[in-house]
Amino acid sequence: MSLKVLVVEDDREIRALMQSSLSVEGMEVQTAVSLSEARALLQHKPPDVVVLDLGLPDGDGADLVRELRKQRATPVIVVSARHQEAQKIALLDAGADDYLTKPFSVGELLARIRVALRHRGTSLAAAVTCHELEDLRVDLAAHRVERDGVALHLTPTAFNLLARLVRSVGRVVTHRQLLTDVWGAEFVDHTHYLRLYMAQLRAKIERDPAEPRHLLTETGVGYRLADV
Amino acid sequence: MDDASNSSTPDNPPVRGWVTVALLLLAATLANAVLEPYVSITSQAMLYVLVIVIAAYRLDWVQSAVCAVGAVTSLNFFFVPPRWTFEVENREHLIALAVMLVVALVISHLASSVRRESVHAALSERRARQLQALATRLANVTTPAEVLDLGQQALDKAFAGPNMLFLTLDGTDLATTEWNSKIQDGLRCCMNESAVLGPGTGRWPGLNAWYLPLGEKKHMLGAACVQPALASDNDGREHAQALIALLAQAVRRVRLSAKVQAAQIEAQRQHLQGTFLAAVSHDLRTPLAAIVGAASSLQTQNEKLSPDERHRLLGSIVSEATYLSTLTENTLQLVRLNSSAQTLRRDWESVEEIVGAVLTRIRQRDPGRRIKSKVPPGLPLIKADPVLLAQLISNLLDNALTYSQGEIELSVGVREQSLDMAVKDRGPGIDEAEQELIFEPYRRGDQSGPRGAGLGLALCRAIAVAHGGSLIVRRRTGGGSNFMVTLPIDEQPPEQELP
Repeated sequence: MSLKVLVVEDDREIRALMQSSLSVEGMEVQTAVSLSEARALLQHKPPDVVVLDLGLPDGDGADLVRELRKQRATPVIVVSARHQEAQKIALLDAGADDYLTKPFSVGELLARIRVALRHRGTSLAAAVTCHELEDLRVDLAAHRVERDGVALHLTPTAFNLLARLVRSVGRVVTHRQLLTDVWGAEFVDHTHYLRLYMAQLRAKIERDPAEPRHLLTETGVGYRLADV
Repeated sequence: MDDASNSSTPDNPPVRGWVTVALLLLAATLANAVLEPYVSITSQAMLYVLVIVIAAYRLDWVQSAVCAVGAVTSLNFFFVPPRWTFEVENREHLIALAVMLVVALVISHLASSVRRESVHAALSERRARQLQALATRLANVTTPAEVLDLGQQALDKAFAGPNMLFLTLDGTDLATTEWNSKIQDGLRCCMNESAVLGPGTGRWPGLNAWYLPLGEKKHMLGAACVQPALASDNDGREHAQALIALLAQAVRRVRLSAKVQAAQIEAQRQHLQGTFLAAVSHDLRTPLAAIVGAASSLQTQNEKLSPDERHRLLGSIVSEATYLSTLTENTLQLVRLNSSAQTLRRDWESVEEIVGAVLTRIRQRDPGRRIKSKVPPGLPLIKADPVLLAQLISNLLDNALTYSQGEIELSVGVREQSLDMAVKDRGPGIDEAEQELIFEPYRRGDQSGPRGAGLGLALCRAIAVAHGGSLIVRRRTGGGSNFMVTLPIDEQPPEQELP
């Protein structure tokens, strides 16, 4: 059975482009031009992944993400223009899985969908506990981090931070999510903790901390642990 | 009492004057009675003359005259024989009394006119000084409200009041003021007639105040109401008119300079908008032509094209469209920063991180890894808008990649209270004369030549400045340019024990 993708986008050209390029990849594409139409489709025929444009005529989409999260873990990828930074972060914090900034290439869209689907149903399937990419190897169960086969010593907080990123490997994790999950909800404004610990982590894990391979910065949004 | 006030001595009412007369006569008479056994009548007469002179000096003419008559009469009644009568038995005494009366009257007249004149002279001097002071202070005002303020103060200082000053500013309506309708009518009428109304002017002499217009008939700027107004007080009215003339002049000057300034700003804005539009459209047209050309070629000649050519055309569509996207983003960002409505979204940011993110993105355009970055570990955090800062670094690197061959050096360092970032290339370099001009958004009036890179640099500088920093360019020794960004380092967040 093919994957069902719901594209919520009010611009006709971009909608048509997404529909054709996703269909070519063998996906079954539904489209909606407004949030209300998207709501109806979500009830009627639940998709496997949602691609949601910001700036729809009938709302900002945050409510839709929250409603959806109450029922299912369907991945949501937010598509935004540059100036919608704040709105994008709000949606990610509300439970959206990842984002794309316009203009984006079809390749980027497909990569995001692939990552999102890999995490589909994390609540049901066994969570990611092991991550391996090039020189880096992280085994959460064994509490072990290796670079080039050499074990690294991390402080408990740094390890928790890395663990949080491993569990969402390939996906962006917002500052707020990291601060809440690693330090606690009362620390959401202490961005400088995050900066200091990320610098510490990069110094241990990266070959060239100034140009990281693994711990990628999503400027103004959060961090992403590279998976390809 | 106000020091330039025109009103005669209201704190010296007639009753007090008469009491003074009585006291002076009583004191002289008592003193003479006490001194009588020791002195002659001549000395007693002199004592009365002293009292007359004092009265003439302190009191007005009527009172001092009455005092003179009273003194002569007292001398006659109490001390000139036969005493206790108004009779005079000796002819010599009679002549002495008569002469004394005349002398007393002359003295009191002279003394009071000298006094009146000196008071008048002092008043005139105070008024002249006030006019001078007001003129000096008005020379520095920049708004009509300040003129109104200074004007009201000046009127209140010169006249007991209550005084009203009204300026027809920004369509202020006289009817909305809290003054009573009589005053409003007076002000309106003097503005309509553009003439002074009130006592002594021949117009509406029945009023108890002067109404003075500010400005001339065609450019009426306001009006003032001044009290108290006496028909005989020509000097007072002239002073009021002189004050009002100064105020009118100041209002005219302020209005004129505001108009000139507004016109200058508008002209500048239009010029900027004009060159901006011309340059944006020039920069848009070229890539659009390339995209339309490549796309239409693919559409109509698809079968005839070799796979290589197809690939090249597609590549040019993508790169031109990417250029357009960057251009649009820069333009919008610059407009947003300049309109100052945009507030920076500042947070504690690590420059190392932002540089890393920019490099990851820009390496796609730099397959030969021409950019060499030197970012030391342990840099202090700065309070910055990460997206804008990334755009700044990315624009500088993009420019260096476009306009130079060879190695590009990106370095970051700390110097005292600032963070210095430098992007150095080995391109053709920028002449000293151009080193400031390249940061101006679209100063190029001509629409020819290569596509502009100016907007990117203008945005870079706007971002640096918005963060309280700076961006300059210098020629490198050995050729090429060195773009230097300086950002202030704020006080670091508290280094508390991290949980």
